[in-house]
Amino acid sequence: MKRPLATAFAIAFGLIVLLGYFIPLPFFAYLRQELILWAIILAAFGVLVGVANLLAVHLEKIRRRQPGYIYSLLLVLSLVITAAFGFLLGPQNPGLRQAVETIIVPVEASLMAILTVTLVYACIRLFRRRLDMMTIVFLATAWLVLLGTTPLPFAEVSVLNYLLRPWLIHVPAVAGARGLLIGIALGTLLTGLRVLLGADRPYGGK
Amino acid sequence: MALPTDFISALIGLLLTLLVFSYLLGDSPLFKIAVYIFVGVSAGYIAAVAWHQALMPSLFVPLFSATDPQRFLLLIPLVLGVLLLMKISPLLSRLGSVPMGFLVGVGAGVAIGGAVLGTLFPQIGAAIAPFDLAAGIQAGYNPFERLATGAIALAGTIGTLVYFHFGARAGADGKVRRGWLAEVLAWVGRIFIAVTLGVLFAGVYVAALTALIERLDFILSFFR
Repeated sequence: MKRPLATAFAIAFGLIVLLGYFIPLPFFAYLRQELILWAIILAAFGVLVGVANLLAVHLEKIRRRQPGYIYSLLLVLSLVITAAFGFLLGPQNPGLRQAVETIIVPVEASLMAILTVTLVYACIRLFRRRLDMMTIVFLATAWLVLLGTTPLPFAEVSVLNYLLRPWLIHVPAVAGARGLLIGIALGTLLTGLRVLLGADRPYGGK
Repeated sequence: MALPTDFISALIGLLLTLLVFSYLLGDSPLFKIAVYIFVGVSAGYIAAVAWHQALMPSLFVPLFSATDPQRFLLLIPLVLGVLLLMKISPLLSRLGSVPMGFLVGVGAGVAIGGAVLGTLFPQIGAAIAPFDLAAGIQAGYNPFERLATGAIALAGTIGTLVYFHFGARAGADGKVRRGWLAEVLAWVGRIFIAVTLGVLFAGVYVAALTALIERLDFILSFFR
């Protein structure tokens, strides 16, 4: 067996956390909370590792003058400046928050905004390339819900606004979403159990 | 004359908005500039948040101020965290597998608990609830309407689950196919999945449209 210590850690601590959920004893609940706190601390270390890795990859691109290294230079500069001020002043500093929001909010909002065009383009492509029953039902539902959501300039369609749209959202859409959620939960359960039984070792054991 | 901070912020915001909108003309260098700056700033800020809002209050401050047994306990995540930092170096990255094992194990435990208690039980309960006629009448619902919508929703839920079940057997002719009941339920499930995705698509589209209107309003108000 490769990396037995990592496997033992995964199985032992995973089972303790699981017992904390299902055995109603204060000791297990305390252990679960303590282990989750440790996991949060480790996840924060993981964030630092991820950021360091991002920095290393782009510094290497700059060093080798690879195509597009100018963009990497921009990324490294913006990362180092933000991290330096962030570590010194703290992320709650009003000046730093304003500076960060000046960049993050417009870019996020604009990326969301260009979805209006890319989604329409994707719909047209879907309609042209795969015209089957599922596509028709999908696009018809989206169209009806949009029509029932947005205020129309000429008239209000009561059947659509107050009957069809709420019914579509609350009955068939909820049923489909429930089926998807239960499927995802069953998949999560199975994957988690495989990790706890040592059959899957995504930490590098196998 | 010094420029006011708000004006500088708005000017940077306008510039970044136009750079991102340039994507509509194709994947241009202008779009890449905005995205790389965005990734850099976000990564730097997330690192600062991880340090100041997770590591400092949960690890380093208690290490110097808590009681001895608590300090001893906190040494474990500290050692595991230092081992995790070894992942940065290709030579020492093997040492990082132990904290990764811990993270994966705890994550699996949390995921199983969340899936069972947070999704499976509540969703199954919600699927059954419309068939409790006494409770429905007590809450003031029309029992027939509630029963009908509950039956449609249950058929949709079962159909959706069957659609993603790919178990099949070889028939007498040697061809591998699902049973007829599974085929019918999967066909029903496809319709429900299409409706669900259509509703989700409409929701995302409305959100995107709202963002577009906000950005266009921002651009217009900048020049006013």
